[in-house]
Amino acid sequence: MSVAIEASGVSAVFDQRVGTFGVHRRVVAVDDVSLTVKEGIALGIVGESGCGKSTFARLLLGLLAPSGGDVRVGGHELQAMDRRARARLIQPVFQDPASSLNPRRRVGEIVALPLRAAGVARGERRERALLMLSRVGLAPEMAGRYPGQLSGGQRQRVAIARALVLEPRILICDEPTSALDVSVQAQILNLLAELRASFNLTLVMISHNLAVVEHVADEVAIMYLGRVVERGEAGSVFAAPRHPYTKALLASVLTPEPGLGLPELPLGDAVPDPANIPAGCRFHPRCPAAIARCATEAPARGDVECHLVQPVPT
Amino acid sequence: MSAIRRLPLVLGTAIAGFAVLVAILGPMLVPHDPFTQNLAHRFVPPEWLPGGSPAHPFGTDQLGRDYLARLVLGVRISLMIGLTAVVLSGLIGTTLGVIGGYFGGWVDAVVMFIVSCRLAIPIILVALTVVFLVGSSLTVVMLTIGLLLWERFAVVSRSATRQVASRDYVAAAWCAGCSRRSIVLGEILPNIVHHLIVVATVDMAIAILLAAALSFLGLGVPPPMPDLGLMIAEAKDYMFFKPWVIEIPGLALFVLVLGINLLGDGLRDLLGGESGG
Repeated sequence: MSVAIEASGVSAVFDQRVGTFGVHRRVVAVDDVSLTVKEGIALGIVGESGCGKSTFARLLLGLLAPSGGDVRVGGHELQAMDRRARARLIQPVFQDPASSLNPRRRVGEIVALPLRAAGVARGERRERALLMLSRVGLAPEMAGRYPGQLSGGQRQRVAIARALVLEPRILICDEPTSALDVSVQAQILNLLAELRASFNLTLVMISHNLAVVEHVADEVAIMYLGRVVERGEAGSVFAAPRHPYTKALLASVLTPEPGLGLPELPLGDAVPDPANIPAGCRFHPRCPAAIARCATEAPARGDVECHLVQPVPT
Repeated sequence: MSAIRRLPLVLGTAIAGFAVLVAILGPMLVPHDPFTQNLAHRFVPPEWLPGGSPAHPFGTDQLGRDYLARLVLGVRISLMIGLTAVVLSGLIGTTLGVIGGYFGGWVDAVVMFIVSCRLAIPIILVALTVVFLVGSSLTVVMLTIGLLLWERFAVVSRSATRQVASRDYVAAAWCAGCSRRSIVLGEILPNIVHHLIVVATVDMAIAILLAAALSFLGLGVPPPMPDLGLMIAEAKDYMFFKPWVIEIPGLALFVLVLGINLLGDGLRDLLGGESGG
């Protein structure tokens, strides 16, 4: 299988300064991440808020130039790509469809926008946009509406239609369901799974919702404070998590049993701060299993970045 | 509640609409020529004062010219100055502001520096210099005001652009392969234009007042052209004896500017939401 996305040593560092004389903060949102996504695979990227997963999505889309390293998509350096070629290869679905659709454009125009940028003639644009709308389960008369007249689920369908109208090979979904009603989330996920099969898509699904990722992904990468701390085949990571953070994440999933109450988390109250990443293993202040070595020495790079986990010989 | 809230819009539209109608049609409807002097009929009072005549509903001025005809032409000239100045300053200010807001970084710093430089320039002094160098004419007044009054457009369009540019639909358009130019024209401008309309009304009122001030100082529209400010300036020598000669253009200027400002307020409330459609 060929490689669809190859991120090598990618970092995103932001220099923040509040006012001219304010305190200078160096926020490391993504820290030297290397990741490959094979063609046709659905990769789930999981992590808490602030772990850098959305920044990573922006790096994969080329919306953000990496501070270090590079992202190659379909064998080409993303930052050096022609915008039209890039649009044919990789497309986004964003979290909040209320913000990802231009409120001053009609749905038909929104879906046809990538075609217009690609230079497709007006008649064909209209035809393909309408076809795409029906593929995502929207009636043709929706084309004349404005996003403000649509429900959240319908808006996300429009966003998906726009992303797929150029028939790209890769779809980056940044929390595609978290702004939606619970009842609509499953519909959108099923739609994505169905379209993934019929368009032969490589999918990157970014979410903090483990159930969403488990539903869709073949492989998962668990992010913590800008690094991927565990990665592997989805079934085995969910069945037998190895990194203490992954274990804690999986333990934190709410069960539908009302009698069980909220899950106990062994992580403590310290909120991770990407402007102040701990020395040694970045997870050690919250790790229930930390040993002395964790505070001083960063764990070796690998599929599971933890001192307590023996690397699997390959 | 809603009737009171809509009052500025209704009143503003009525006044501004009436002013535009007067400016377009007025000179055709008034039977007198605004430039014809008649020294035998100086200071004929308006129709409603003792000694007034229906031939001159607003009376005549110190040279016996029909005051209604001059007022109507004055409104037309004031509106022309206001519109031209707003179009010109809107083009300059919006271009600068959108570029600064969209590209950010050093581009934004340069834009803000230019805005600061502009704010340090006193318009009246520049106008004085320009008039001294090239002489006063309607074109000079329109250009001077238009080239100097763009800072509000720049500041507002910059901050609105920054807000809109962080929206996901701008990111989506970029991912769709749109050029920077089509992102600015297709995604950003339509979503900030309601702010710009409000600025346009505010700036138009300011431009009209500024033109009147320049004319009053003798730096604006050259006589015998009747600009509202010039009419006030010409009338000020007689204001203690014939108060209507200053009251009529003064009131007209007040109502015109008030109407434009009310229209701006009303439009701001009307277009404020992002509902679209």
